[in-house]
Amino acid sequence: MDEKKIEVLVCSGTLCYLMGGSELQLLSECLPPDLRGKVDVKGSPCLDFCNHPKNGRPPFATINGRCIAQASVSLLIAEIRKEIKG
Amino acid sequence: MKTRAFHVDIDCAQLSKEGCQVCGDVFLSRRIKEEDRIIAVMSDGLGSGIKANVLATLTASMAITFTLEKQPIDRTAQIIMSTLPVDSKRQISYATFTIIDIESGGETRIIEFDNPAWIFIRDGKVIEIEKERVNVVLDGGRERQMYLSHFTLERDDRIVMVSDGVTQSGIGTNDMPFGYGDDSIREFVCNRIIEDPTVSAHELAKVVIRKSNANDIYKPQDDISCAIIHFREPRRLMVCSGPPYDEIRDKLLAEMVRDFKGKKVVCGGTTSQILARELGLSIDVGFTLDDSGLPPASKMQGIDLVTEGILTIGRVAEILETMQGFEVIGAGPAVAICKLLLGSDVINLVVGTKINVAHQDPSLPVELEIRRNVMRKIARLLEEKFLKEVNIQFI
Repeated sequence: MDEKKIEVLVCSGTLCYLMGGSELQLLSECLPPDLRGKVDVKGSPCLDFCNHPKNGRPPFATINGRCIAQASVSLLIAEIRKEIKG
Repeated sequence: MKTRAFHVDIDCAQLSKEGCQVCGDVFLSRRIKEEDRIIAVMSDGLGSGIKANVLATLTASMAITFTLEKQPIDRTAQIIMSTLPVDSKRQISYATFTIIDIESGGETRIIEFDNPAWIFIRDGKVIEIEKERVNVVLDGGRERQMYLSHFTLERDDRIVMVSDGVTQSGIGTNDMPFGYGDDSIREFVCNRIIEDPTVSAHELAKVVIRKSNANDIYKPQDDISCAIIHFREPRRLMVCSGPPYDEIRDKLLAEMVRDFKGKKVVCGGTTSQILARELGLSIDVGFTLDDSGLPPASKMQGIDLVTEGILTIGRVAEILETMQGFEVIGAGPAVAICKLLLGSDVINLVVGTKINVAHQDPSLPVELEIRRNVMRKIARLLEEKFLKEVNIQFI
């Protein structure tokens, strides 16, 4: 049976892109071998987290719908591992 | 909003004489929006290189200015001839010119002096237009002959202007010892139009230049210029950027985009989301980076191009401002927008005026200019530098 993939949405809004989101577009290529095939990385139109300060600072991404602020490739990989462990 | 039935597509392609950095032929054109009028001038300066370019630039600039002010042709010619600096070798002041003045509705006046005869093409055939000879007496009693034509352009008519570098290309070669000649260039242009009746002024001018260069065995013996004027149906483009000031107007924006007859570009994540919501469409967000450094373009059904907003339009303004000629080089969403802009005749800019609060953070690493200023700059560049008809609407 196919394991359900972790869905990572990377915000492609201007602010997130400027604040480092452009790097996140390379996430698929930077995944360690054990995570490849387990994660589905997609771009998203502006997720609108940037207009609500309580969400933190851009760039934003979501992992299975959970908001990750100040996202970086290493932070997202760590969060994906947490998500897998549950 | 004024809408013209036809558009005048103008372009010129040039090659400098072998060994010269600067072309001694000059082509200038000006669109006078208020009068719905276009003036174009081609001038060939005496000799080649910088000296010829200076003579031709002076001639073309004066010709445009005097024509703009509707000065009589003999006076214009007299002033041009007596103003040009005298060549130290030949002791004459000289530059040829062809002035084309197209008024609203296609009414056209052409004045030519010593350039190869301009060509008028209708339905893929050369049509001879009657020319009136005008004698101009210059200072010192010298007489010059100029030719004046007056006619009305119809849809899909073309006017071709070439410098003698085209008609005399290949001179001295075995194939064409006396040069390419007027008849051959006429036949060549007609055949190209028959092959592709929608060929753009830009493409047609380039084909003529390439042919002349080949005639000269890729070492141009003179400056080579070809200008094309094509009177045709306008190609329309809408560029929509930014959310409306008031959410009530989101629906209006979506209807404007949906009902527009022509190509459509949407710049801005929020703008594309508004359209997707109002028109029931989905956005396929691009996720492949290119070397432009801009966020990648996305896809939406019925929209020719969907891009990020302020960074991309900022880059569009930068490209339009710095580019030389009409060729856009490079890749990425801003280049794609520029190609669409330059390939269109009538451009509608729809600018949402809602301020993105998140962009006002002073700690941001780049200056995020206010959208309406950038769009105004793009409109100005398109009108003044690229002679496009631009309508800008703030919503």
